[in-house]
Amino acid sequence: MSSGRSRKLILGFLMVGILLMLVPVQDRIHRARPQVFDPDRKIKRVSAISVGPTPAVIAALGGFRTVAADLLWLKAERVWDGGSWWAMLPILDAVTELDPQFVLAWQVYGWHAAYNLHAESETIVDKRYWLDRGVTILEKAVEANPDNWEMIFELGWTLYDRAHEPWRASEYFYRADQFPGAKSYVSRLYYRCFEGVLDFERLFPALEYAKGRHTDPNVSDDVQHQVIANRDYDWWVQHKDDPQEHRRQIVLENTKRAERSVPFYLYPDDPYWQVCPICGLPSPKGSDVCSVCGAPVKQLSERAGRPSPASIPPDRTEL
Amino acid sequence: MNPQLAFLIGLFIVIVALVLTRRQWAPAAVHAVPSVWRIAKITVAEARRRRVIQAVVILVVLILISMTFFSYLSPQEQSRMLISGGLAAITVFGILLAIFIAAFLIPQELESRTVYAILAKPVRRFEFVLGKYVGALIILAAIVATMTVVLVGVLMLQDSLVQDLPDSAFNPNLKGVVFAAIMNYFAIAVLTGLIILISTVASTTMTVISAFIIWAVGSLQSTISDLAAHAELPVTKALLTVVYLIVPKLENFDFRNEVSNFVPISYGTGWEAVIQGIGYTAVVLILASIFFNDRQV
Repeated sequence: MSSGRSRKLILGFLMVGILLMLVPVQDRIHRARPQVFDPDRKIKRVSAISVGPTPAVIAALGGFRTVAADLLWLKAERVWDGGSWWAMLPILDAVTELDPQFVLAWQVYGWHAAYNLHAESETIVDKRYWLDRGVTILEKAVEANPDNWEMIFELGWTLYDRAHEPWRASEYFYRADQFPGAKSYVSRLYYRCFEGVLDFERLFPALEYAKGRHTDPNVSDDVQHQVIANRDYDWWVQHKDDPQEHRRQIVLENTKRAERSVPFYLYPDDPYWQVCPICGLPSPKGSDVCSVCGAPVKQLSERAGRPSPASIPPDRTEL
Repeated sequence: MNPQLAFLIGLFIVIVALVLTRRQWAPAAVHAVPSVWRIAKITVAEARRRRVIQAVVILVVLILISMTFFSYLSPQEQSRMLISGGLAAITVFGILLAIFIAAFLIPQELESRTVYAILAKPVRRFEFVLGKYVGALIILAAIVATMTVVLVGVLMLQDSLVQDLPDSAFNPNLKGVVFAAIMNYFAIAVLTGLIILISTVASTTMTVISAFIIWAVGSLQSTISDLAAHAELPVTKALLTVVYLIVPKLENFDFRNEVSNFVPISYGTGWEAVIQGIGYTAVVLILASIFFNDRQV
């Protein structure tokens, strides 16, 4: 074999050797950045194919997804200013498809569906649809950003404040609170979930948990948190066995919702709530009497209705 | 293949190849350093004479400064827009300049016949290729550094001007921006090596076209890998796998999304990408030297 050919052969081996040595490096990079490289991850940063043939896709092809998302975000701002609320949906959808780590876009998208479009809808079926859509959007957002406490909190808040699913919301508040940097109100909202539904089995452990969080006396927010958490704990210890007070709490909660025109929308097979045929207000399932008016449980209809705010008695706060 | 096994086999092959050729590469390496440095300096001097590069850099600087006009957005949105737009500008113009600098380096020497004068001196062909590459790296480092300094300056200026809101603060994320720009430079360096390889065998036009395609495909390597994993036809699967293995993984160096979204960055992964890029570039430059050596000049 000539020296030239043998040299090329050796160089060829050298190149193969170098490439083989790079295999574990690429393997480590794949594992370290699952949001980019993990094929099993349901939501991926690269979703240009699913977005469709838009200019955003062309930009995305060059690795400029973030810029494409920004440009669409600016468009969404203009659409919002123009009052075209329904036109925002496809734009926000494209933004979050292009850049699933854009937390603000997810928050606005979920909030827009669960709050604005819910409020804009005229029928109960439509309202329910937009509420569910908002929750689904935020669930996708949490899937795409599992390490972002703000995203998890946003889902918890929508479930708590809009969907009136405090038990589900509590799971997300608790999860969000485990991340460093989570604000103190997250741990307080965790126990607030159980306050409104008088779930004492979970309320007191949650209160204890919240008292044990954010305890730095040198941080003003922590000091404030301790004052509030201890005050709430003492209040519930004092009123734990006071059924009148419980009713008042529930009615106050209902009043707050009615004032904001956010009636209860119960599923036909709602696992937590049933509507009392006497007072027309939702009452937690599993109790012997209606927690608002005290009617015996046997009189409670198994049929779950959707009372309008108007059906809530005007003097409800005076109970 | 098991990554650890692949590494051990690779290491064994590299050591054997280096031991077998030690009589050739050891003295050649000592001789190569001054020659490569001289050619690199000439390449930088030639590039400095080209006004178009300076014009492009000035254009980018103006674009970056003009990006401060998003004052109607919230502070958080402003910082995101500035960071993502600024890093995108650095990437686009960095890559464009890399393509137009690297694609002309060797063909221009051949066309103007100055290569004869250089190769008539005691300069080996691989030293010539390496010198051109190092020269291009120095020029591109200066360009990327200039653009990064301007972006950092704009971010710092905006940080001092924008008034934070209770729930929305301007976050310049300077550490992340500088890191993303450095990674961007390494991506450009890998692409430059590949462009030099193509320019040793193809015409300038072909080199430029190929560079754009490689840039696009290299930026979508995770998609290529997904498509290969889900391809039903064996031919398609094999083709996509080959593309995935050959084309540089420019996505490894892309941290712009994480930085723009203020997501914590795993800096170690970035340096692993650099190691991967250096290995890939070494292979590419060895190939370029072989092709240039075989070329009738």
